[in-house]
Amino acid sequence: MEGAGAGSGFRKELVSRLLHLHFKDDKTKVSGDALQLMVELLKVFVVAVRGVRQAQAEDALRVDVDQLEKVLPQLLLDF
Amino acid sequence: MEEEAETEEQQRFSYQQRLKAAVHYTVGCLCEEVALDKEMQFSKQTIAAISELTFRQCENFAKDLEMFARHAKRTTINTEDVKLLARRSNSLLKYITDKSEEIAQINLERKAQKKKKSEDGSKNSRQPAEAGVVESEN
Repeated sequence: MEGAGAGSGFRKELVSRLLHLHFKDDKTKVSGDALQLMVELLKVFVVAVRGVRQAQAEDALRVDVDQLEKVLPQLLLDF
Repeated sequence: MEEEAETEEQQRFSYQQRLKAAVHYTVGCLCEEVALDKEMQFSKQTIAAISELTFRQCENFAKDLEMFARHAKRTTINTEDVKLLARRSNSLLKYITDKSEEIAQINLERKAQKKKKSEDGSKNSRQPAEAGVVESEN
């Protein structure tokens, strides 16, 4: 579409809906810039998971759920 | 009455499911990109797990963001709030701060382009507008 980042990512509308789903106040809105930043943040979140995985799975060719479980606590702390 | 509440619950639930599916799709795309780049493969379970995680994390993000904005007595969440979200890890914070500046820069350039376009375009239409203003003053 607009080519802001490399390749695929979360669509702004999807992110907006995801956030609005959990807002307590109906008046809460998200600015356009903040939305774009959230797209980046979510991309990092997804990529971070696989990045940590890769560090642990040098030999493995497939990333499995077990390995994911091991790194989960640390990842969540980072966020 | 109870039936109404139930349908509302169901609607909310299926709406959530649709959003989850959309997240799952995007996560899948991202993982595939990464997999191509690193010559690795992600099992379907992993993609599902990451996608579920992302969905849940959004709830935390949303609530935090709302609170940050409210704390600053605003109803609109801005980039400062998002940066606060990324505070826990230094490298993450730096990455997000850099991205935020990048986005601001892109937006500035876009605005400059738009302004230029509208200035070129409205030179023709400006005169009638001024005439209109003069009339309304009378």
